[in-house]
Amino acid sequence: MGFDLSSVVAALPDVGAASLTNAWMAVIICVAALALGIGFTVVRSLKYRVVNGVMSVFISFVRGTPILIQIFLCYYVLPLVGLDLDPTTAGILAIALNSSVFITENFRGALAALDDGPIEAATALALTPAMIWMLVILPQLLRRTLPMLVSEGTVILKNTALLSVITVAEGFRVAQQIGGATFRPFEPLIAVAICFLVLNLILVGVGVMVERRGALRAA
Amino acid sequence: MRLDPGVITDSWPLFVEGTLVTIQLSVLSFLLGLALAVPVAALSMSRHGVFRGSAMVYLAILRGIPFIALVFIVHYGTAASGARTPAFWSGVIALTLFASAYYSEVIRSTISALPPGQWDSGRVVGMSRLQTLRYIIVPQSLGSMIPPGVNVTIMMIKESSVISAITVGELTYQGLVVQGNTFAPFEVFITIALIYWGITLGVSRLGDRVERRIGRLQKSGRPTGGIAARYLTLTASKPVQ
Amino acid sequence: MTQPDLSLRATALRREVGGLRILDDIYLDVPKGQAVCILGPSGSGKSSLLRALALLDPLADGFVTIDGQAFGRELSRDGIVRRQSQREVDRIRARIGFVFQDFSLWPHLDVRANISLAQRVVLQRPADEIANATDRIMDRLSIAALADKHPGQLSGGQKQRVAVARALVLNPALMLFDEPTSALDPELVGDVLALLVDLKREGMTTLTVTHEMSFARRLADRVIFLERGQIVADGCPQDVIDTPSDPRVKRFFSLF
Repeated sequence: MGFDLSSVVAALPDVGAASLTNAWMAVIICVAALALGIGFTVVRSLKYRVVNGVMSVFISFVRGTPILIQIFLCYYVLPLVGLDLDPTTAGILAIALNSSVFITENFRGALAALDDGPIEAATALALTPAMIWMLVILPQLLRRTLPMLVSEGTVILKNTALLSVITVAEGFRVAQQIGGATFRPFEPLIAVAICFLVLNLILVGVGVMVERRGALRAA
Repeated sequence: MRLDPGVITDSWPLFVEGTLVTIQLSVLSFLLGLALAVPVAALSMSRHGVFRGSAMVYLAILRGIPFIALVFIVHYGTAASGARTPAFWSGVIALTLFASAYYSEVIRSTISALPPGQWDSGRVVGMSRLQTLRYIIVPQSLGSMIPPGVNVTIMMIKESSVISAITVGELTYQGLVVQGNTFAPFEVFITIALIYWGITLGVSRLGDRVERRIGRLQKSGRPTGGIAARYLTLTASKPVQ
Repeated sequence: MTQPDLSLRATALRREVGGLRILDDIYLDVPKGQAVCILGPSGSGKSSLLRALALLDPLADGFVTIDGQAFGRELSRDGIVRRQSQREVDRIRARIGFVFQDFSLWPHLDVRANISLAQRVVLQRPADEIANATDRIMDRLSIAALADKHPGQLSGGQKQRVAVARALVLNPALMLFDEPTSALDPELVGDVLALLVDLKREGMTTLTVTHEMSFARRLADRVIFLERGQIVADGCPQDVIDTPSDPRVKRFFSLF
């Protein structure tokens, strides 16, 4: 049974359409993960002992365990505590939480490299902490961590394929279904790989565009 | 929600077996992935555009497609080519390819982070490119490769859970089997999560020790005092690992 | 074809980067023991010339003759372009001492190891000879007390001395210095000058790229003025600096 290019082409329309599900889930997760990541970072900077203690255990757990297990936990375990989420929502929640932890950890490193000067100046001008975060710290922080945020975006996109295991009808699952129906499992996988490569390319391209615009504004 | 410890105590042999298979997968892919990463990194730093281009395509593909897709592509791909690869070895191949893409990037980026003058300084005293690499470049890069290398290793160990999808009896797969038998998702997934957590923490500690042995443990950050520290640090004292 | 008293000869050196001529048909004969300073506006190709003489960059054309042997693209009498093997080129580099602007010491090795590494792996000297030569050169440059220190623990002036020792210990035919004062505090300029004058007194051939006029005046037997990759003036310091004939050179020195 050799490789059959026409089977790849035949699978592309359906797999491509289903991959759009990955795309929009990834967009939602990116926004949520960034918001959560910023939130975690601000909360951690307040240095409440107990809160930071809990946060550091949570961060270590998320960083130390597979995303697949975290997806299972959100999907199978949350209903036991009364949170009955549909697979898509549970999956989006799991991936967003996962990425927000990586984002806040990266922010931690980038914060340590920021200059003191602008913050001291802003404090001298009697700006409130909230304004200092919004106007002074976050703009610099986002600009500096943009490459990392883009690569986290590609991780998020790839992670959405894992939601196939909790029955979300995204590109990879549809590819597997086509493979099962046609008895040619290999070619639809190539089709879905192509779809992901294209989406990945778009994401990286958007990142480059944002970076260039940021560079222009900074110049 | 009631906890039933019996779920775990009754099936502990499965968890032990799964853990061992996960460790086997990880150790094999660590060694093979690292071995494969060296030539890939060499290609990506080559002076010839064709070599650099082929390395770029290799990296873009392996880093651009979801690991679960890679696992199935390897599994079905080797089956279609006539070689009946046991699922375990499909998993090792997929994880090796995955790891090689990230390890090679660690090698490439730490080496190219060195000042370009370091290459010239070796050449100018009469060393060949290879000698410069051996005596000047590699000794300086080795220490700084460890922290990102450990991160890639941890990522690879976590990613190995996906290999459960081709029915390799590693930790996640055994967890799903027990969950199917007992319908006790909380106990099962928390247990395997804790096992993964232990493994990755252990690898992280090991990395710290190797780095200290090499003697290049760099302290990150700089002392930030005063007002700005309120914003720029996230912990009161030492950063919690 | 080279006279025995010639330390280095450059013939028709041409280097292009992205269609831009960095070095344009450079001919240069440097007799043994001469101290040459290379001047010129930034971007004129001074450092490129030094790197070309050290065979560090690929040349579009031309060759450098050292120890009677030509390196680069040599057009032989029968009209065939000959290139040397990479090994031959690598080996001759040990004969050309080069001190980088930023010194480029090896931070993972202590001073002694910085000075002995190339003796061991390039010249393959026996261990006792390496120890002797290293001790001698460290004494001579007054850095013996620094033997066990790492480059990160040294001052700029000390780093430079180690860099000079690292090159000198290989018994080079000539020494090239790329802007030896630019990475140092101004008050150290006199020390560098003294070092170079010492080398000259010992009969070492030196080529120094510099911005320091005082250097050129007090050290150089000969000054070369470079502009747009071409040698536009070449002579003794008085002629080139004080009574320049070329309008481009005149304009440059009128700025000082």
